[in-house]
Amino acid sequence: MLGQYLVNGLLTGGLYACLAVGFALVWGVLNVVNMLHGSMVILGAYVCIIGVQQFGVPLYVAAPLACIALFAFGYAVQRGLINRVVAQPILITLTLTFGLDLIVNNLLLYFVGATPRSLITNFGAVDLFGVRAPVVRIGGMLVAITLTLLLYWLLHHSKLGRAIIAVRMDRHAAALMGIRIPQIYALTFGIGALMAGAAGCAMALIYPTAPMMSGVFLGKAFIICVLGGLGSVPGAIVGGLVLGIAEGAGSLAFGPQWATTVGFVLMMAVIILLPSGLAGRKGFE
Amino acid sequence: MNRFKSALAASLCIAIGASPALAAETLKIGAPLALTGRLADAGQKSKQGYDMCVEAVNEKGGLEVGGEKRMLELVTYDYQSETNKAIEIVQRLVNVDKVPFLLSPYGSGDTKAAGVVAERYGVPMVAAAAATPSVFDQKFKNLFGILFPNKMITEAEVAYYKQHAPDAKKVAVLALNSLYPKGIAADLAASAKDAGYDVVFDQIYSPNTTDFSNALTQIKSLEPDWIYATGYTEDLILIRRQMADLGLSAPIVTMTAGPAYPEFASNVQQLADNVTTNSWWHQNANYKDDFIFGTSQAYNEAFNKRFGRDATYLEAAATASCETLAIAVAEANSTDGDAVRKIMHEKTFQTFYGPIHFGETGQNDYNAALVMQIQDGELLVLAPEELKQGALKIGVPPAGN
Repeated sequence: MLGQYLVNGLLTGGLYACLAVGFALVWGVLNVVNMLHGSMVILGAYVCIIGVQQFGVPLYVAAPLACIALFAFGYAVQRGLINRVVAQPILITLTLTFGLDLIVNNLLLYFVGATPRSLITNFGAVDLFGVRAPVVRIGGMLVAITLTLLLYWLLHHSKLGRAIIAVRMDRHAAALMGIRIPQIYALTFGIGALMAGAAGCAMALIYPTAPMMSGVFLGKAFIICVLGGLGSVPGAIVGGLVLGIAEGAGSLAFGPQWATTVGFVLMMAVIILLPSGLAGRKGFE
Repeated sequence: MNRFKSALAASLCIAIGASPALAAETLKIGAPLALTGRLADAGQKSKQGYDMCVEAVNEKGGLEVGGEKRMLELVTYDYQSETNKAIEIVQRLVNVDKVPFLLSPYGSGDTKAAGVVAERYGVPMVAAAAATPSVFDQKFKNLFGILFPNKMITEAEVAYYKQHAPDAKKVAVLALNSLYPKGIAADLAASAKDAGYDVVFDQIYSPNTTDFSNALTQIKSLEPDWIYATGYTEDLILIRRQMADLGLSAPIVTMTAGPAYPEFASNVQQLADNVTTNSWWHQNANYKDDFIFGTSQAYNEAFNKRFGRDATYLEAAATASCETLAIAVAEANSTDGDAVRKIMHEKTFQTFYGPIHFGETGQNDYNAALVMQIQDGELLVLAPEELKQGALKIGVPPAGN
């Protein structure tokens, strides 16, 4: 039974990490707390659902399409709107993305309605020594790990990635080196949106999708980033797994009604005791 | 200038042959609606129900009040699924829009909060989606509820399963931490204990829970014969899917009230089979209604024609809440709150929704509880006997096909 509880926590944590990777990237590089992130996850989920259910596109085609669409959306939003205030204090960009979130969420409600929709698949479950792990949740965890590894490769082994890191370290120095800051910002936001799109497709396989889920997803991403370390992409994986296991343990110890509270208490404890997070770099908070 | 405008308006009336006396003021009914936020789906369904009533009354020429025909006008605002905003909107509806009557927000919790405001201003309010008795036990004179109390539903369920699944002994109850789910879960646990069931798991979960795996693993280890879950439809969809993920099954799986809505089955597909639920209304009941629609089935046909799907108890209750107000106003021949309130308290309304009698607390006390089950994708009535469409099927699929 203990093994099942642990696997439950890890798989849920994997999904949480999947939600938070893009959010962490944008926070880390742009210093923008992207309140639009939850709605972008939902947008990605709907692109997948509509692609599969209304246009008969296979999931393995719909998912990359959702990523491309979200990248374009994120790039355009950053270049056209957020870039105008990106150098302002964090509260300004937070307010702007909050406003954008309201607009996107209400447009979603208008066009797709509030009734939940899902991508129905049955990949089954793996049963090992009496411990069951649903394949779709394993898939969600793999998506998170793959996205993080790809991002790691991009940041450390490509010209674009080196430019992103340079901007993250010192944007004024990076500008002096000839890096076009607005373009790097827009590309980073686009990559964050692409990851939200990928997460959205994974979520559509697991959760009933409705526009009002965006707030729930955003809340989880926020806690995970604080736990893992503000702006730290690998920290999103650590934070996600820790949150998944902590919520599961809280559910067992105190009852299911306390599971989410345990997550918030843990977040407060980390802010007070470990301000740079469980996997963040000191001084980057 | 104002005189000039009045003279111009009067001239225009004469010019088009209309008498100002005939253009009676509309009868405003205020309705705070959850059109966005967590309850948006339920809020939009409620609005569809209200629209059915307003359109039907207006199609037959409106209400005869004080010698003139008054058309109904629904004054709505979106309270974004937030209780505080619902309260503000009720205040606005009363003070700014001057509505003489109110329909309540969605759910027991928001109705309880909004009901306090309606009582303070002495404006009659009819609740379409609140079944928890604690909403109505505040000795308010202005709050009326269409849904009969939870306890009538849970007692009907327990009695039915006791008779049709006599081998079931152990019950597990999982409920959302919100006024209505908590209330009906507590009533179910109490009714089950009274009937001799062993309640082996009785827990609540918090709103915005995104994972039920550990709670369901605990339930699995207790091997219950009857699993009872209640919460938002999205939660129930996730619970049903995670049950399949964990290979959790039971002879009886009851969910309230999600499976009464078509989106439950469309989101879990084969996993919906044999899930039981309950309801306050079903079109097959076929009650008679002399005021609008004629019968329950005629109401459902009209709803289907208007919105392209069958009505559930939620839209029907919304329509009925507006209808009872309209009937009371017509019978009082007045929009005076006291006169309407008196009729609301005394009369038994014969509607397509069924007989509605607002009891001592203001909540409908006519018991018409339905036990239902999804079989091959279709929602069938199991009880009461006179409306029965099928027999109970034991066991839900442990995993998807």
